Amino acid sequence: MTIEKPPKKPLEERIYNYIMNGRVVKSIIRSGYPNTPRNQMLMVATNVFLHLHPTRINRTHVKITHTFCLGGLSFFMFLGLTITGVLLMFYYVPSVERAYEDMQIIQSEVRFGFLMRNLHRWMAHSMVLLVFMHMMRVFYTGSYKPPREFNWVVGVLLLVLTLLLSFTGYLLPWDELAFWAITVGTQMVGSAPLFGEANRFILIGGYEVGANALIRFYTLHVIGLPLITTVFMAVHFWRIRRDGGLARPL
Amino acid sequence: MVSDSESIEQSYSKAVQDRKTRKREEELLVWPDLVFIEFISALLFMLTLTILSILINAPLQDRANPAHTPNPSKAPWYFLNLQELLLHMHPAIAGVLVPTIAVGALMAIPYIDNTHEGEGAWWASKRAKINAKVGGFVGFFGTLFLILFNESKHVWLFEKITTLEWPSALNWLRNTRAMQTDLPWPEALKNIPVGEKILKTELLGLPPSNLVLDIPKIFIEQIVPMTTMIGLPILLAVIAAKTKIAQTKRDHAILIFSAFMATWLMLTISGTALRGAGMELMWPWDVKPPVT
Repeated sequence: MTIEKPPKKPLEERIYNYIMNGRVVKSIIRSGYPNTPRNQMLMVATNVFLHLHPTRINRTHVKITHTFCLGGLSFFMFLGLTITGVLLMFYYVPSVERAYEDMQIIQSEVRFGFLMRNLHRWMAHSMVLLVFMHMMRVFYTGSYKPPREFNWVVGVLLLVLTLLLSFTGYLLPWDELAFWAITVGTQMVGSAPLFGEANRFILIGGYEVGANALIRFYTLHVIGLPLITTVFMAVHFWRIRRDGGLARPL
Repeated sequence: MVSDSESIEQSYSKAVQDRKTRKREEELLVWPDLVFIEFISALLFMLTLTILSILINAPLQDRANPAHTPNPSKAPWYFLNLQELLLHMHPAIAGVLVPTIAVGALMAIPYIDNTHEGEGAWWASKRAKINAKVGGFVGFFGTLFLILFNESKHVWLFEKITTLEWPSALNWLRNTRAMQTDLPWPEALKNIPVGEKILKTELLGLPPSNLVLDIPKIFIEQIVPMTTMIGLPILLAVIAAKTKIAQTKRDHAILIFSAFMATWLMLTISGTALRGAGMELMWPWDVKPPVT
């Protein structure tokens, strides 16, 4: 009795199998390439980035008009701002002598420097808008109700942090617009009935916006506030899953 | 005994029947269905923002110069709502008290409206849309009306229509500030030296307090705005409750939240687009870039 050899598979299929089930891809995606429901679920459950998601999700929540992706896009803006921000940090020195000149150099001499600055600015404005719209989405879909109360509170804190991140970045170009916007903005802090002046002094490191204010805003902008925001975002995302995913009608 | 266990079984099976089961067919796999949407939306945003960045450059004005004050000098756009408020009341109220209370009130929403009404879907409760519309309309146009009043635009309108002059007996109705200057307040109320009589700070080794109360000023800058900002929302809620527009906690939450957001939007629009040199109220097309 002879054992028939199975017919040879076509070349393209062999190449596909060689790559997709080969050692390299298997080493990256242990569950195998996500082309079956089992592997797709394992992919989401075992990948460090994707595991923020559940493996399965309600049909109505996938509809674009339910969330408009507003929360996810806010997070995407945060990531984009980190990348463009780091690139801008290569060239920018937060001193009164250099800040403005560095801005001019970024715009005129650094390759793609102006594009990075523009992207950073548009993403910052978008993030403020997106966070606001995300809050309205959560409100009008009634998604703050028990057991999600605390996550709403974290969300309001994230909104405040977003505004502070944007505000601290506003001073860094050290042009007229930046200087006077921060002067006007911090004057509001100074008008508090108790400790207003003291708070303003701590915030800008003096009685008027100057070198101390620049280094304080820079440090808050590039490390202090992003760190705090990251912690609150981690809590925010974690609690979405712990509180049972997106809210559903009873 | 038999009947007991039967009834338990019946009630148990009824509870199981009533329980909303997670139906598999109602659910989709996150990969590919959701991840795909997230990827596309991120891509679309990236593309739009890149095009925007190529087309419109970020502004870089002259180097900062503390000696030159541009006119008007404005805060970033998302704080112009507060700067607009600043024109109408005591700076401590507009700059500190209002934002603090606003953030606190936002955080308190889920603890006040702790029902499950209208959960999990857009406009899911019965009167959600009407409350959002009423709240939004009242907040937006109410704020516009208040701004126009405080800028004496009703005087302008009166003189435009009737070609008469605003009667001087009604001068105190020109705006809120006029109530301080044009009403016959007793002189004694304008100058009450509290510092010398009541606050004996020198007993604590501090410099003597020179606090002088100006009752009309306090009335205009603090009492009137605070009453307006607390009273009008309460009035709105009471009217909505009486007219059965808002009946439940969720209705009131939607009503007040919508009114607040619309107010915030109107203040931002006014501070951004309607305030020119000297923070004067003007048409948007008359607002010029600041002159230094």
